Amino acid sequence: MRIEEAKKIYIFSLGLRIWHWVNFLTIITLFVTGLYIGRAFFSGPTGVEATYAYEEGLTMGFIRKVHFIAGYVLLASFIFRLLIALFSKRDRLVLPTFWRRNYWVGLKEITLKYLLIMRDDEGHEYIRNACARTVYPLVYLAILFMIVTGFGMYGMSNPSGFWASLFGWIVWFLGGEFPTHMWHHWIAWLIIIFAVLHVYFVVREEAIKKNGELSSMFNGYKFFKERPVDLDDIK
Amino acid sequence: METFWETFKRHGVSRRDFIKFATTITGMMGLAPTMVPTVVRAMETKPRVPVIWIHGLECTCCSESFIRSATPLASDVVLSMISLEYDDTLSAAAGEPLEEHRKKIMKEYWGNYILAVEGNPPLGEDGMYCIVAGKPFLEHLKESAEGAKAIIAWGSCASWGCVQAAKPNPTTAVPVDRVITNKPIIKVPGCPPIAEVMTGVVMYMVLFDRIPPLDSQGRPKMFYGNRIHDTCYRRAFFNAGQFVERFDDDAAKKGWCLYKMGCRGPTTYNQCGSIRWYNGLSYPIQAGHGCIGCSEKDFWDNGPFYERLTNIPVPKQEADADKVGATIAAAAVGGAIVHGVASKLRNSGKKEE
Repeated sequence: MRIEEAKKIYIFSLGLRIWHWVNFLTIITLFVTGLYIGRAFFSGPTGVEATYAYEEGLTMGFIRKVHFIAGYVLLASFIFRLLIALFSKRDRLVLPTFWRRNYWVGLKEITLKYLLIMRDDEGHEYIRNACARTVYPLVYLAILFMIVTGFGMYGMSNPSGFWASLFGWIVWFLGGEFPTHMWHHWIAWLIIIFAVLHVYFVVREEAIKKNGELSSMFNGYKFFKERPVDLDDIK
Repeated sequence: METFWETFKRHGVSRRDFIKFATTITGMMGLAPTMVPTVVRAMETKPRVPVIWIHGLECTCCSESFIRSATPLASDVVLSMISLEYDDTLSAAAGEPLEEHRKKIMKEYWGNYILAVEGNPPLGEDGMYCIVAGKPFLEHLKESAEGAKAIIAWGSCASWGCVQAAKPNPTTAVPVDRVITNKPIIKVPGCPPIAEVMTGVVMYMVLFDRIPPLDSQGRPKMFYGNRIHDTCYRRAFFNAGQFVERFDDDAAKKGWCLYKMGCRGPTTYNQCGSIRWYNGLSYPIQAGHGCIGCSEKDFWDNGPFYERLTNIPVPKQEADADKVGATIAAAAVGGAIVHGVASKLRNSGKKEE
């Protein structure tokens, strides 16, 4: 372990780190409240006359309100994420570089590593491995999809209102409101499955390489033993 | 043709009753009270419009609904408001004389008659699955549509395809707008549509001589602009989280929300919650059964009707999104643990140089 020679590289800007944790909180909130909205597994205040039940706390109305507020936060943070990418190269580390050879070399190496054929200290060093580079854009798309379908359905209570004119088309594109509900549900699970794997691979990286993978989303720095192949993508 | 007012006078309707009628239908069409004079003027000046009403692959539930319209009475619409020239189900005449009459009307009012289509054309086997007057309905429809001013697509069959177009759609039944593409088509979905919605659409068209404002799906905005859920009188129970769990439980008796029983109210655009059925008597949710979403596209394929989530085709299993999602997420966690231990072992010891 030649940690003393390791290079300390600043990767994640403050804005990106804030966005990441806001995203974490909103997605968890949206998922839990969304599960309840899709399947009301516990019932609200029973035996209370509906008019007065609103004061009883965990009602469908309240949970939906939380879901919608979190949805607005997710939308705002998504726009914020796009804006910071406009202004800083470091925050544009999103797209997979299909056109470069090192992307394909990296994809082969990371596949072999995850298949336990190659050791993790072999091969090249990357700021972001090719597997993550491929998946992250898909996650952005999934989040965008959730925003569009979510606000589409939300807005259809007033079909000529602002949200319906902006995102209402998705409801008809997906074949009606019921299929839109289903798609919203399926992609939500996809994002959660991503989150499970995401956490696992971060912990794994940290446990094996001890390169600050876990702490980098708090302080922005990661440690490298050699110059990462894709260093130019952030500098 | 004579105007509505002339027809009313001929039937001995007083001026006062005529104005009352005009006021009522203004409300039914979703128009503001300030529009009453416009409606009265239209009824005094516009001639009655000839209507050809044809039937394809369908169950006639639209006609059954239509004849139960109370405001206005369907008989008023058929006898006074429009001039129903051809309807192979309601006409007293039948066979060749009736077909001759249809052709005569088409020729006489070319470009001016309204074509109302109930049911849809099956395309399979050259349209042989539905024969009208000795010809495939497909030809019958194309022929009748040619000189029409506008087409009303009655019900979910003509609008979306409905039950005969549900998977696997053995007769290749398609909605009217797949066959007729060069005419304005007003979709009035529902299985059947609400009677007052049907008469409301007809009245709007004959009084204002134009098609009603349509949404992006071709449905009249004034009747399909709201979700049943947003107008449902049980909505308070939904917001309060008070749900029926079984059709025979106490909550069902109390009339709580049917959301957990698979009610499609939250995803269905119709007027059941406000106009209701049988002169405002009731509607499915009021009767204690969830909405099945009959005015929505492909509602037959979005089952089961008594579940909130559709089934995902998992071999030998009945599974919905929550079950599949939770299983995969659990498998991912398990896989991660196994893979993690294996990774640690693989990377233990010195790097082989």
